[in-house]
Amino acid sequence: MSKEIGDVILDLQNISLRFGGVKALSDISFDVREHEIRAIIGPNGAGKSSMLNVINGVYHPQEGRIMFRGEERTQMDPHLAARHGISRTFQNIALFKGMSVLDNIMTGRNLKMKSNLLLQAIWWGPARNEELEHRAKVEEIIDFLEIQHIRKTPVGRLPYGFQKRVDLGRALAMEPQVLLLDEPMAGMNVEEKQDMCRFILDVNDQFGTTIVLIEHDMGVVMDISDRVVVLDYGRKIGDGDPDEVRSSPEVIKAYLGAGH
Amino acid sequence: MAFFLETLIGGLMAGMLYSLVALGFVLIFKASGVFNFAQGAMVLFAALAMARFSEWIDAALGGDSLVLANVLAFLAAGVVMFIVAWVIERLVLRNLVNQEGATLLMATLGIAYVLEGIGQTLFGSEIYKIDVGMPKDPVMMLEGVFEGGILINKEDFYAALIAAVLVVLLTLFFQKTSTGRALRAVADDHQAALSIGIPLNRIWVIVWCVAGVVALVAGIIWGSKLGVQFSLATVALRALPVVILGGLTSVPGAILGGLIIGVGEKLSEVYLGPMVGGGIEIWFAYMLALVFLLFRPQGLFGEKIIDRV
Repeated sequence: MSKEIGDVILDLQNISLRFGGVKALSDISFDVREHEIRAIIGPNGAGKSSMLNVINGVYHPQEGRIMFRGEERTQMDPHLAARHGISRTFQNIALFKGMSVLDNIMTGRNLKMKSNLLLQAIWWGPARNEELEHRAKVEEIIDFLEIQHIRKTPVGRLPYGFQKRVDLGRALAMEPQVLLLDEPMAGMNVEEKQDMCRFILDVNDQFGTTIVLIEHDMGVVMDISDRVVVLDYGRKIGDGDPDEVRSSPEVIKAYLGAGH
Repeated sequence: MAFFLETLIGGLMAGMLYSLVALGFVLIFKASGVFNFAQGAMVLFAALAMARFSEWIDAALGGDSLVLANVLAFLAAGVVMFIVAWVIERLVLRNLVNQEGATLLMATLGIAYVLEGIGQTLFGSEIYKIDVGMPKDPVMMLEGVFEGGILINKEDFYAALIAAVLVVLLTLFFQKTSTGRALRAVADDHQAALSIGIPLNRIWVIVWCVAGVVALVAGIIWGSKLGVQFSLATVALRALPVVILGGLTSVPGAILGGLIIGVGEKLSEVYLGPMVGGGIEIWFAYMLALVFLLFRPQGLFGEKIIDRV
């Protein structure tokens, strides 16, 4: 791979998150560098999704600091995160089911549209030209994800693998700096997984997008990630490149049980 | 034949007016997944505002220009409906993000009572009239084709025309513009809409504003037909069967449902009425809705999965 990994873009310092008495994350620190693929792995209930939701601004950790591009993030919610160039996909696919593939991906351009809502509402003048420009960009993404043939189909009717692709397409339409993928491979067959891996690597390679992904399928993750964080019971038990992590005794213990 | 056509056209025009009220339901449901029980109260509120503003403004202008007074009153009532939308978002919807449909439904029931109460407190609870200069006299048409021609109620005709224009505009707005797309997105999935940076709060204000404007137009048309009074809030009940028939999520469905019910009411009253002693017009729509609920609960054009309301 020819890409160059840059500076730290996202730095999570001593993050703790509690829901009432339940500790979802305790004292977790790691960073994400520009242009890298950073995986967060761990068994079920390890806190992966909580971690992703903290980055996305859905959850607000009780302790810890989050530095984004060198600045401390204080107030955060998913809408603000989107404004700052963080987009995401969902584990249980949260697409707009009644809308076509094209419209779904177009919604991802919403923030990029500059003309005001009123002009957009009456579809007049500059707003109309703008719409066409965005449409061109969306067509690029559709080509990229190889879903040209279904662009007019309502997403509710598509098979699971394609829905996952549309979900990715919508996130890409935002031209994010950081892309959060919540179990992009979950529930897929081998072929679909291979396709998804290829898309993730291509996004990273062609657009230089920084990718943070969570996954519990270790095999796939080790193949495509630059660095991996391992969580277990809300604690960080490993951090490093795939080989380091794979050979760490603590990680092996968490995955295979103490008796191994 | 001429009589049949006359009945048919009368039914179509009445149906268009039902569609207009039904449209208010569909808009909010499409864009927020909320079945808005307050739609009737919004019609009443808007009509009251319009009636009183035009009265006050006309008096302030010295009674010279009814047209100017009406235009100003329309704008003022529009502003009032915007404020209503904004307040509803702020006080109610904002606190209910991601809640069950039933919770939101109950909230709109509450909004209905509050609106009815505040409306009558602010604007009075007498019977008011809205006079927007709609011609009341009927007109004969097609006299060359049929003997005696067809009698058409001009007021209904203009009302139907206004409703039709509004419907076309709204359909374009929803299907063709990016704001419309954002509205549909919010309706489908709050969480996903937030994650791609659609501002939920602003979208809700827009939807309720649009529904408010629809309520205003419906209020003016119905108000000038029936007079503005408390019973105007029950106009929404007439639109319920329309929504069930057309499907909660479909704008064209609301139109067609309204037309079918309007025509059905009139034709059944005229042709079946004498056999059962009349009065079919009153229950026809509800019976039709019941049949649809039994055999096709999503309506003619609705999306397959719907929540029972």
